[in-house]
Amino acid sequence: MVDLALGMKDGFPREVGIKRKIENILRTLFRKWGYQEVEPPSIEYYSTLEKALGEEIKERLFKFIDREGKLVCLRPEFTTSIARMYSSEFLDITVPVRVFYDGKIFRYPSSPFRTECEFTQVGVESLGQNSVSIDAEIVALAISSLQGIGIQNFQVDISHVGVYQGILDSLGLDKKIRESIHSLVGKKDFTGLKKIIKNLSLPHPKVGNLLIEFPFLRGKIDVVDHASSFFDSNQKILATFNRIKEIWNILVDFGLERHVVVNLGLVRDFDYYTGLIFEGFSPLIGYPLLAGGRYDNLFSLFGKDLPACGFALFAERLVEIMAEAAFSSSPTTPISIQYPPRLRAKVFSISENFRQKGIPIIMEEKPKDSPYLTIVGTKGTFDLKESEWGKIEEIIEREQEKHG
Amino acid sequence: MDDKLTISLPTGRLKKDSLALLSQLPDWPSGFEFESRKLVFEEATSPYRIVFSHPKDSSTYVEFGAADLGIVGKDILLERGNEVYELLDLKIGSCTMVLAGPQGVTRSQLWEKEELRIATKYPNFTRKYLQERGITADIIPLYGSIEVAPTIGLSDAIVDLVSTGTTLKENQLWVIEEIVPISARVVANRVSIKIKAQLIQQFIKKLEKVVKHE
Repeated sequence: MVDLALGMKDGFPREVGIKRKIENILRTLFRKWGYQEVEPPSIEYYSTLEKALGEEIKERLFKFIDREGKLVCLRPEFTTSIARMYSSEFLDITVPVRVFYDGKIFRYPSSPFRTECEFTQVGVESLGQNSVSIDAEIVALAISSLQGIGIQNFQVDISHVGVYQGILDSLGLDKKIRESIHSLVGKKDFTGLKKIIKNLSLPHPKVGNLLIEFPFLRGKIDVVDHASSFFDSNQKILATFNRIKEIWNILVDFGLERHVVVNLGLVRDFDYYTGLIFEGFSPLIGYPLLAGGRYDNLFSLFGKDLPACGFALFAERLVEIMAEAAFSSSPTTPISIQYPPRLRAKVFSISENFRQKGIPIIMEEKPKDSPYLTIVGTKGTFDLKESEWGKIEEIIEREQEKHG
Repeated sequence: MDDKLTISLPTGRLKKDSLALLSQLPDWPSGFEFESRKLVFEEATSPYRIVFSHPKDSSTYVEFGAADLGIVGKDILLERGNEVYELLDLKIGSCTMVLAGPQGVTRSQLWEKEELRIATKYPNFTRKYLQERGITADIIPLYGSIEVAPTIGLSDAIVDLVSTGTTLKENQLWVIEEIVPISARVVANRVSIKIKAQLIQQFIKKLEKVVKHE
């Protein structure tokens, strides 16, 4: 018995089968929307990732020293790598660029009680345009992804990073209190938050209450009007609210609003978001299925001013849901042809014919003097004498009929 | 979709006080015999499904979505660091997390010790507490009778919950630092709070009124 490396997971056929099926659905879908696949490298310099990532995630990176003595990391997500790729000054691009990716990411767990470190992310990025229509396209594609996989019951929460920033700004807090409030919101400790806010003498106490009610600032678009009423007309946050409305209106035109919830209390744990943020949920599982948003300053960290918007789906969580929903699970069982050596050429040609039609065939050679050719399928085992060797195709085809 | 709220309640110390609060809710089911040894209570007409758990497990049930809401001591939340929303302070089960040591010992005496050992039921919390103060110590995780650890020479000090201080006195200990006030909290699962937002918000509002009247 040899130990599996801590935090790693072996993928066996059933789960991998479901995962590949989901990946194929998503890749086909993304291509249909005009996105092209890219493959960023597995490893990046720490100095690259450091520019873009927040403190919490930086502590969870897999870090190594390469042979030149530079600190390198396994990628913890794709977005930063794609920003680095497309920031190259030697790359001529016509915007908007629509790309997608599908691969493994590596992060140490956020809690000492978890172990898993390797995950599959499938996602898209739209680079080069800061427009409401791109924001809406990305949310629509996220919804279409969950529908395409066949998830019936889901919801996508949308918001804008400017909501939370705007509320904090309008409270006019000193830096220290602002930081402790930010830390409590990060920890989702709303009892602690309430205690701090009740003890402050705020210029706009109602805005303080808005923060206490943060997890419940949600609904359809009316929640934006409700929240707007707490602010003076000159405040920056109103432009933020307006942007959410514009995105919402497009999603209404797409006929997708029944899947969308405006959740002004949404906070994402990556620091690079600058606009739209969103997450997708199913009642079947306690974690988001997808997450994304707009990050217009990420590329400028790498020397190019390029707005961008995207999202990623967490494939293992989708597998968990689809496994529960008995996602036409059983992988096709291959048919086995066991043949005496003198039939090798004939059986190979028959097998190739079926394989081309998508029917999986296994060839197994028998001892030299074997009098029978044997076909093992889901319906049974057939031993064919020399006189019946013309019937091989017929039997395999019958297997298919019965099976299908 | 499931339109009931599953609530995880702690057995033990907090059970009685939690139920005393909850039973004041207008829609709290009256027919359940919570005194029995049963752990899951459910009936068609009740808007709540109630699951009793070990007090240390309540927030874990919530984190993993086995319950939408839970009642749990703040001490457990600090120790486990569960990814849950903390929504309401119930102001029951109040006590204080303290650093305590033999009577007469001061904090600087402790911090200056060459090899400091601290016994606790809260090793994760204690590690973070010491790290924030720049102190290195050996942490001795114990499951019970923390107060005797200094007396029998197992540790120099303890990090533990104190309510009246009687147990400390009986063991010739005193409070060196009050670290953080503790009481029971209502926590919510991070997906439930989105999928069942209205139910949860209404529940919290109703419960808040009961807490304020205390």
